[in-house]
Amino acid sequence: MNRLQGKISCIQQSGAILLVDINVDEHVFSAMLIESATRQEWLMEGNTVELVFKETEVALAKNLSGLISMRNRMKCTVRHIERGELLSKVSLQFLKYVITSAITTRSVDSLELKIFDEVEALVKANEVSLMKKQ
Amino acid sequence: MENGLIFIDIEKQMLTANGPMKLVVQTTIQLGELVAVFGESGVGKTTLLRILAGLSAPDKGMVSFGNTVWFDSEKQINIAPQQRNISFMFQDFAIFPNMTVEQNIQFAQPEKNHSFVAELLEVFGLTEFRKYRPNGLSGGQKQRVALARALARKPKLLLLDEPLSALDSEMRNALQNEIAKANQRLGLTTIIVSHDLNEVFRLASVVICIENGLVTRSGKPEDVFSDNSISGKVQITGQIARIQKQDTVYVVTVISGNNQIIKVIAFENDLENLGVGDRVMVFSKAFNPILSRLR
Repeated sequence: MNRLQGKISCIQQSGAILLVDINVDEHVFSAMLIESATRQEWLMEGNTVELVFKETEVALAKNLSGLISMRNRMKCTVRHIERGELLSKVSLQFLKYVITSAITTRSVDSLELKIFDEVEALVKANEVSLMKKQ
Repeated sequence: MENGLIFIDIEKQMLTANGPMKLVVQTTIQLGELVAVFGESGVGKTTLLRILAGLSAPDKGMVSFGNTVWFDSEKQINIAPQQRNISFMFQDFAIFPNMTVEQNIQFAQPEKNHSFVAELLEVFGLTEFRKYRPNGLSGGQKQRVALARALARKPKLLLLDEPLSALDSEMRNALQNEIAKANQRLGLTTIIVSHDLNEVFRLASVVICIENGLVTRSGKPEDVFSDNSISGKVQITGQIARIQKQDTVYVVTVISGNNQIIKVIAFENDLENLGVGDRVMVFSKAFNPILSRLR
């Protein structure tokens, strides 16, 4: 699991669907959630929460230009690559955090990823969960 | 006015396989509920049941059923089991081999009540077997006889200590339904000790979780076992059956409460404090699962 800590800056709601903006060191992330029967007391503007997303939900891009629908974009430096036969794990530094992306080894090759490369890690808003700060 | 609660506030020093442990329980149970006492073995579940039955006395505290005090260490009250109007059934129950099914059930009645015996035979699907002796019955049927017998004296409180753990899952499901039916139909309060999550979810309206002699959580099973501290809407509880490293990731096999096999991809940091046998919550966002009609 990748975890980042941030402060909820805005909650937009339509019916049971919530779009929550979270400020992580001045970078705004978005999480799309379905509301529970009762709103959890920690899910409020101004509260510090943990953003959680799975390694397999992190896409990587190099020299990305043009428009893209993915809301969560992190400029990262590649720190480590563990190559598997089909699936590789790429460790990335984003600000003070280390996040991991699990992508196909084919993609590692087609992006010609190597250590110290500058890449963008991308996560769709509906793949981000929020957790009460531990 | 009759108060509709079982009130429990007790302490008892126990000697377990892992050394001495203190059982401390403070809780109330609404009369008419079907309550599960959930936890690992050796945490004090059976001791709590024995205290309620009057088979074991707490070191101190109080137990009352409605307005009747069953135990009070200060006032030195300890009502005998036979005066508590309870029935209990343990895992290693015994039924009389020389009596028929019907006679086994009748035997438990202080005053004969044939119509009630007939009702019990019907609730437990034993009517056509009423003249059989136990050695002509299957394991599940014997269990039904034991349950019917436990109810024959019309107890106010039924205490069940893992009564179904020796049965296969199909038989267990059938008997769980019958226990729920009996609880409702006879207006009982039932307390069942279980370490089977599936059983807790199927049967109990309230669950009391005991760990190391202490009540850690209690409430509706869906509230107690769902994790409110995470936004994921798909939450399945289960037990880790296997962890296999495959390629650069781990494939974790989890057996869910209703015996579904779930496979989850995990990474080292997910597994730091987890191992085979641990109970886990598998959660996913409401956005990911796909529905498909069952054929």
